[in-house]
Amino acid sequence: MRKYWELMKSQIKLDSAYSIWYWSGIVATMLRVFVIYSFWNAVYDHRVEVSNMPLNMMLTYVILAAMLSNYSAGVGYELANQVRDGNVAIELMRPYDLMHKLVALDLGMKITNSIRNTLPILILAFLFLGISLPHTWLMGLLSILSAIIGIFLGAQLDMIIGILAFWVFYIWGLRVLRNAVFLFFSGALLPISMFPEWLQTVSEFLPFQSIVYVPVAIYTGQIIGNDVYTSILLQLAWLVVVYTIIRLLWSFALRKVTIFGG
Amino acid sequence: MIEVRGLTKEYTIVKKSPGLRGAIKGLFVRDYTVKRAVDDINFSINQGELVGYIGANGAGKSTTIKMLSGILTPSAGEVKVNGIIPYEQRKKNAQRIGAVFGQRTQLFWDIAVRESYSLLKHIYQIPDKQHKDTLDMFTEVLNLGPLLGTPVRQLSLGQKMRCELAAAFLHNPSIVYLDEPTIGLDVAVKTRIRAFIKEMNKLHQTTVLLTTHDMQDIEEICNRIIIIDEGKVLYDGSLASIKERFGQKRVIHFELELEGEFSLPDALQGKADVIAGEEEGKIGLSFSSGDVNAADVISAVLAEYRVRDLTIADPKIETIVHEIYERGV
Repeated sequence: MRKYWELMKSQIKLDSAYSIWYWSGIVATMLRVFVIYSFWNAVYDHRVEVSNMPLNMMLTYVILAAMLSNYSAGVGYELANQVRDGNVAIELMRPYDLMHKLVALDLGMKITNSIRNTLPILILAFLFLGISLPHTWLMGLLSILSAIIGIFLGAQLDMIIGILAFWVFYIWGLRVLRNAVFLFFSGALLPISMFPEWLQTVSEFLPFQSIVYVPVAIYTGQIIGNDVYTSILLQLAWLVVVYTIIRLLWSFALRKVTIFGG
Repeated sequence: MIEVRGLTKEYTIVKKSPGLRGAIKGLFVRDYTVKRAVDDINFSINQGELVGYIGANGAGKSTTIKMLSGILTPSAGEVKVNGIIPYEQRKKNAQRIGAVFGQRTQLFWDIAVRESYSLLKHIYQIPDKQHKDTLDMFTEVLNLGPLLGTPVRQLSLGQKMRCELAAAFLHNPSIVYLDEPTIGLDVAVKTRIRAFIKEMNKLHQTTVLLTTHDMQDIEEICNRIIIIDEGKVLYDGSLASIKERFGQKRVIHFELELEGEFSLPDALQGKADVIAGEEEGKIGLSFSSGDVNAADVISAVLAEYRVRDLTIADPKIETIVHEIYERGV
């Protein structure tokens, strides 16, 4: 455990070294939040509700969802690159589990990001854009728990794409596909509850809504009562399923590893 | 220590037909060819041996090393390193081996070398005291002092390789695989690296398996060599005996101002062979150091011809491999 902890810390140190990267990141997120804010204000012009949601609830949802969806990827890209340029060879002769190491680095990156990027923007959004507080404090805490599970789940799903790089050497196309599916079914753009009935049903059978929609909807109160606990349990179930798939894929991948570039 | 029996590795390669048509066809149908990179290799290496593993490019050296270090799974045959099967117990094997892959870095690209080492300390769970002592010693022998605070991306090739070497030996592994550790380095750095490898072997009985194209590396470090070509072992034995058989052959190329034909000076009759050059006036003399020494060859030629230029070629490892391949051991 200690090694993964140290690896995570090293990533945090590393991230702190790049200031241009940091500032451009924060400007990009601000811009995005501002565009979302203006867009929904325009949609609500002359209207009080869209799909039973008042403006401030909608803004709270879309802004939080946009922030959370930033945390859904990362590891797979790194792994795919290492497979493509052959540097995965070095990783495979270290006494650690590469999957766990990648998650540790990813967590490190996300921790830095949440403190330096998400937190200040959230504070600004609370102060100036009219985002509401969680509808109860318990739900606020549960939504944080749910968000953490969602982030792990997102990382694991991304890892599947990364492992596929052992078979499909350029995974760019796969990533584009994943991003499109993810954007839609995770609820990063719109609350799933606004989808037509049949799409909502489809979405319920996919893991993506556990990544963004569930935590944010718990926060805003679109998921309430016992549904909150079942949703969180379902998230955990998906996490276990996806993790198992990854271990299986990984053990197949290791048997057929090819190292590129000598 | 290292046991290799019937080791084989096959790669499937996608065959692409040329041109646009081929590219479109490739989207739907694919032909595969199977290439044997390593073909039924057997050898065993004992604790503390310094083994040179040599062969031409693409002979299967790196593939073998990758199977020994647990990165690749063999297609057939078995490998045992320290009694365990590396590709099955990858992590356990990794704990006891070190490696340098000349063309890749194992240090962390963006952070200072010192930080890389302290990460490695945690990864290999090296006790603090041992880590400090080892690092102090390496810093002195490899002269790492000024480099420790620099990020890896700012190091020159020679500096980087010294750091890589230290990283490979840091956790005191019982076996170290060095895949072309001196590639692209100048003589001074090479010398330092060779001295370091020998020192580590003397101190800790570290087993070293080294691939290189530099004959000097082999001569200075190794006491045994394994030559492979096209995935098969051609020779496995002491360096001395292979040198006796093949390494003694040297060639001196002369550029002469010739009037008429060149004929071998009397002093060299029976001791040297003439290799005709492609151009007028360029000839090569091949001889064995056992029969005559280079100085005598040169002075015999100088006595009879006007020499514009000359170069002495030492036998290259590739030439020896080639010769073995053509004529057998």
